[in-house]
Amino acid sequence: MRRVALALLVLGLIVPGPALTEAAAPLDEIRQLLRQHLYEAPPESVLAGLRAGHLNADLASVDPYARHFPDREAARLDRDAPTWTGIGADLQLESGQVWLQTYQGGPAKRAGLPDRARLLEIDGQSLTDWQADALMNALRGEAGSRVELTWQESAAGPKRRTVLTREPFRPLDVELVEPWDRGVVRVRDFLAGRTRPALMATWDFLDRVSPEASDADTPLVMDLRHAGGGDLHEALDLAGLFLPPGASLGGVMARGGEIRSFSAPEGAKLSMPLVLLVGPQTASAAEVFAGILQHHGRARLVGQPTFGKCSSQTDRRLSDGSVLRFTNREVLLPDGQSCSGRGLRPDVEVGDAVLSDLQRLMSLAMALEAGRGVQ
Amino acid sequence: MRRVTLMVAVMGSLGLVGCATSTDPREGGLLGGIQGMSTGAYDQRVQEREDRLEQLRQTQRELQTEREDLEARKARQSREVALERERLAALDRDVTGLSRQVEGLSARHGEDDARVKELQTRLDDLQGRMQSQQSALDALEGTGMGDTETDLRRRQLEEQRNALREEFDLLMELSLDLAR
Repeated sequence: MRRVALALLVLGLIVPGPALTEAAAPLDEIRQLLRQHLYEAPPESVLAGLRAGHLNADLASVDPYARHFPDREAARLDRDAPTWTGIGADLQLESGQVWLQTYQGGPAKRAGLPDRARLLEIDGQSLTDWQADALMNALRGEAGSRVELTWQESAAGPKRRTVLTREPFRPLDVELVEPWDRGVVRVRDFLAGRTRPALMATWDFLDRVSPEASDADTPLVMDLRHAGGGDLHEALDLAGLFLPPGASLGGVMARGGEIRSFSAPEGAKLSMPLVLLVGPQTASAAEVFAGILQHHGRARLVGQPTFGKCSSQTDRRLSDGSVLRFTNREVLLPDGQSCSGRGLRPDVEVGDAVLSDLQRLMSLAMALEAGRGVQ
Repeated sequence: MRRVTLMVAVMGSLGLVGCATSTDPREGGLLGGIQGMSTGAYDQRVQEREDRLEQLRQTQRELQTEREDLEARKARQSREVALERERLAALDRDVTGLSRQVEGLSARHGEDDARVKELQTRLDDLQGRMQSQQSALDALEGTGMGDTETDLRRRQLEEQRNALREEFDLLMELSLDLAR
């Protein structure tokens, strides 16, 4: 069963410049771009019906991933978060429960919250029946302000109270999950030109602080359970890091069926065994990365089926300075298939309770690599 | 004499109600101290206090060393961040030079030349990533990340800057090819 989870960032993005409100947009220009380049040709009637005041809602009817940004800067910030202010955690709503996923080095983590904590109260108020917006507003705040959280590590665990001070915070591009000797890294976003070098640096760092974890036979476990996507080419570059030169990385297909294929480049390679933790929130670029390595037998996937979005979007700048993002390519895995609508099936599938338990996932990953025949 | 009698009486009554007494100097107190004087435990107590004092001094020395290590580590990190800032500034100057070069190519080959356009697009992207790198470096000094995470972040930034340098070198080659 696919778990319904809503992940929200509660770091509190500082967005300089104009707010992300819908403003007048060059509609004819947008219609023309979609007519020519949208992956699936849109019906003319829908294009004719686009309204400036409801543009994003109208765009969703032709492309669920299309979005109009009032200015170029907003589109860039949407993908490349600068500095955040907050408690340093993602908020996840799962089956009526509220969970925090903390960031390494962030205020919540440093105050002693575990990797994942069930949130029970904010400033002494029980969270029963709280909506996502209310939760976000209660957790966000100015730098230096405080918030008291009541939380527990598991449903049966003791309740704890922690007062956090919100701080400016910039998450690591690749996190090294504690304890380090387990060799677990976490990627939440594939950032153009940043994730691959960050992974290389993290591996070198791990080699220095915990040599046994970076032993050639010790698997690298990459946690992609909350990786919602990012830059496609970064995902391809990262996959190429684990594959021999010339290995197929799949390709992209434009409208009309034209395919552009990619293959792994020469250069530095990582050869350790690789286990990827995936789940229903693993999407887009993260699925492409995992799908390529699974196809080549280079990585084993542990978790639950992934989201199922193997399409790519492009940003086009419009004459008024605003930006239109829309789907222009379908991404094909090395077997020539897209994962859209079906997701990736893990080599080892687990239930909801195990999916959220990193310790048990790690045991499965280690057993899998040791060839002990995990069921 | 009277006092000793009283002592005994007190001891007796304590014994009667079943309270435990001890000559263990760690328990301290009047009773244990005076009683201990006649058993030799007083010297033991003094010795233990001296030992504890020495332990405290040792802890203090260790804390001092730790603080000095921390300060040295912070100073080292500051130096490394300053060095990284210099390297990034040097790369930024190179990219600015390349940008002027591409402008020249644009004038020479025409703005519509596909190769110049691609070069310009990739240069824009590189400049955007340089800005991002700069803000990440600024954030490294301004946020309250733990020492270890700060160290990891700095290493990631160095590797990312190396990747930017590789991209720059590639664009420079493309630019030179076009200039020939």
